[in-house]
This record gives sequence, structure tokens and C-alpha cells, in this order.
Amino acid sequence: MTTVLLLLLLAVGAYLVAVLEDWTVSGRFRLTAPVLAGIALLGRESIVPRKPDRIFFEVAPFLLLISAILAAAVVPLTPDLIITDMATGALFINAALVYVLVALLMAGWGPDGAYAMIGGWRFLGQLIAYAMLIVMPITAVVMRAESLLTTQVVVSQAGVWNIIYQPLGFILFFIAAMALAFLPPFDLTTSKGELAGGVEAEYAGVRLAVFRLGRLALIITLAAATVIFYLGGWQGPLLPPWAWSTIKILAVTTIMLLAGRYMPRIREADLLAWCWMLGIPLALLNILLVGVLVLVFP
Amino acid sequence: MTAQMFFIGFFGLAGVWFGIVVFRTFSMVRSALALLFSQTALGAMFLSMQAEFLGVLQIMMMATEMSIMAIFMVMFMMDPGGLGEMDMTHQKRLSLGAGIVSFVAAVAVAVFVDWGPVASVSPDAAQQTIDLGLELLGRSMLIFETAGITILTAMIAATAVAIQPVKRTREQ
Repeated sequence: MTTVLLLLLLAVGAYLVAVLEDWTVSGRFRLTAPVLAGIALLGRESIVPRKPDRIFFEVAPFLLLISAILAAAVVPLTPDLIITDMATGALFINAALVYVLVALLMAGWGPDGAYAMIGGWRFLGQLIAYAMLIVMPITAVVMRAESLLTTQVVVSQAGVWNIIYQPLGFILFFIAAMALAFLPPFDLTTSKGELAGGVEAEYAGVRLAVFRLGRLALIITLAAATVIFYLGGWQGPLLPPWAWSTIKILAVTTIMLLAGRYMPRIREADLLAWCWMLGIPLALLNILLVGVLVLVFP
Repeated sequence: MTAQMFFIGFFGLAGVWFGIVVFRTFSMVRSALALLFSQTALGAMFLSMQAEFLGVLQIMMMATEMSIMAIFMVMFMMDPGGLGEMDMTHQKRLSLGAGIVSFVAAVAVAVFVDWGPVASVSPDAAQQTIDLGLELLGRSMLIFETAGITILTAMIAATAVAIQPVKRTREQ
């Protein structure tokens, strides 16, 4: 029952992300826009390019969707509203999200198109750099919680939220999460201008619809992960836990989408250099600082 | 218990099958991803055996590692797409022999070693994580640190080999 409810909520969340994304791009708030876009996509022919790697081409959109759903399975919305409270939850989120990389690799290689392939390999090259910026901040978060249980991570923030306790980790995780969901200004994988859609370029019709749905689910999952790791999850005064979770997740999603609206796309080489030379040392410093803090103010 | 045995067997066979697929395809990317799914099946076997942390870690690590391997294979192989159907295998007899010998050795170790009393109940997942952490920072520390340094050295060496030496001219 909880599983069905949470999957429904994930679907609603993905829909809201689509509405918000449309709003940040077009400036108009249209609740029906995703429905119309969806119908349009489903009505179109789903073209298969010449000489594709058929298995990869077909599997990639579904793998993207599945990895987002699996990551969402360990995200608690209230103390009880969680699909499975795994003892290795914080690690499992990361394990599921790594398959986004595999999916995009497949989507890039599969259609036998130059733009798609550049997009796919580009994502791989970038992810090796900022995957560390996802794992290392999570390490610092679970160090404070002294548990990999995601519910325990939220409970550990009862006094001070992690965004105040470890702001450096929050900034790094937030940027890395945006890059993982290839949101602007980090949308190097699907760059509209330079790669004509990148990994999305060769997809059309129903396959593209699944791909886009997977990405929307990924965005809302990453926003939810940010909330439970850094913004105290369901905690907050007056309102019930589910309301706080909803407000926070939607707020984080909006900020993620708006941030891209007002920034130019970052250069690939710059992002790579900053991740390796600035991001990773800062993430290590964050672990050290949190380690000292945990010992001094338990 | 029977369900558990079924899943262990299922994922075991899936692992072996994807391992075979690695050598049945000419495409380097397919080959690398087949190896990835073989390793993922092993991770699922860990999960079936209630070793949660090891399973999740295996599933996570292998995805990144095999993807990196894929890009390296595409960079260094002459025919990464496999469209030329170029044979990438060599020393077939030697490798066949080595494969059979190591398979027999592995089975022999599994069958003949006295594994001691088998635990009937595994500790819960959180306890396993704690035990594993203490083990890694205890007597196994030296082994893991050595392995880590070795891998790092290999990575730096591979990168150094891959970089093409550039002759600097006056214009640069």
C-alpha cells in the first residue's frame, strides 16, 4: 500500500517538475502543458535510427526511469512513509543513481549518432569527476548520523539541520545533484544549442516520452535526497510531517530549475577542471571538518 | 529458504551468462556492459545471501568501473563498435587451459576447505555494516590500503602512458 502511494506521489512529483520546468523556460505557469506535451509525444512516430545498437537503444530510457525509482525507494517523506528503510539506504541511493550514468551511456552509444555519442561520453567523463561530490558529502552526512538509514539521517538533524552544520557539503551536493540530473547550466549531455539534444537527439515519440519521464523522476528524487540529507527531511514546526516534506522538496526543485534559467551553460572543460581541482579537495575538507565537529559537538 | 536458494541460483546463472556474453560480442561497449551486468548479478547474489552492504557496494562500484572501462576500450581499441568483426582474442589454448585450471581450483577450494560451523542466522544489516567497518579498520586495514595504493598507481601509470608526448615548437 505504501509502495503504491509513494509511486503515485513520485508520478505527481514528476508532473509538477514538468510544470515548473515549463514555467522556468517559458515564463508561463500552465498546469496542462505536460499533458499536452505528453500526448503530442505519444502521438508521434518513434523513429529508430539506422544501424542502432538495438538492445542499448531500447533499454536506456527504461533504465533511466528505473534507477530514479529505485533511488526514490529509500527516501522517507514521513517517519513511516518510505518504501523500504534499508540499513544501507544512504549508500543505496548512490548505487541506484550510478545507473543513470549507465543509462545515458547506452542512450548515447545505442542510436549510432554522432551528437548522441558525444553527449553520452561527455556525461561519463563529467560524472567521474562529480560522482565524488555526491559520495563524499553523503559520507559526511552519515558520519554525523552514525547510520546509513535514511530515516536516521533525518532524525540526526533534529537540533541543527545539516545545511547549517555542514554548509560546504550542501553546496557541493547541490551542484553535483544538478549536474547528475543534467539540469542547466550543467546540461552538457543534452545541450540544446551545441549538440542538438545530445543523447535525446535520436529519440522520438514514445521512447523520448519514457526518457523525459525518467529525467523528471530523477530531478524530483534528487530534490528529495537533498531535503533528507541537508534540510531536515520531514521536520518543521506547526505543519504535519508530510506537508513539510512536500514544501521543502518543491522548493528545492524550484531553486534547481531557476538556477539554470539565469546562468549560461558551463563549458565542459571548466566544469571538469573545477570538479577535480576544487570540488574534490573541498569535499575532503568537508569530511575532515565534519569529523572534528562530530567529535567536539556530538 | 527455497526462495533464497532460487534467487541465489538465478542470479548466479545470470552472472555466468553475462560473463559468456562478454566474449560473444564484437562491440567493446556491449562487452563492457555485459561484464557490468555480470557483476551486478553477483551483487544481487550478495543481496540474496542477506549481505546487504556488500551487495549494494558491489552494484554501485561496478557500474562506475565498467563504464570507465568502456570508455577506455573505445579509446584504445581499433574497432570499438565491432562492425569490422575484428577478432580481439588471442592465445586461445593458453587462456582456455588457464580458465579450466582456475575453475577446477576454485571449485576444489569451495568443496574441500573446512569452512567451520555455518551460521544459521545472519546478523541484521546494520550490525553487518558495523562489523565490516571494524574489520576494515582493524586487521584488514593493511591489505585494503595496499590494494588502494596499487590501484591508484596503476591509474596514474595508465594515464601517463595514454598521454601522447607533444613536441613543443617555438610557436607554442
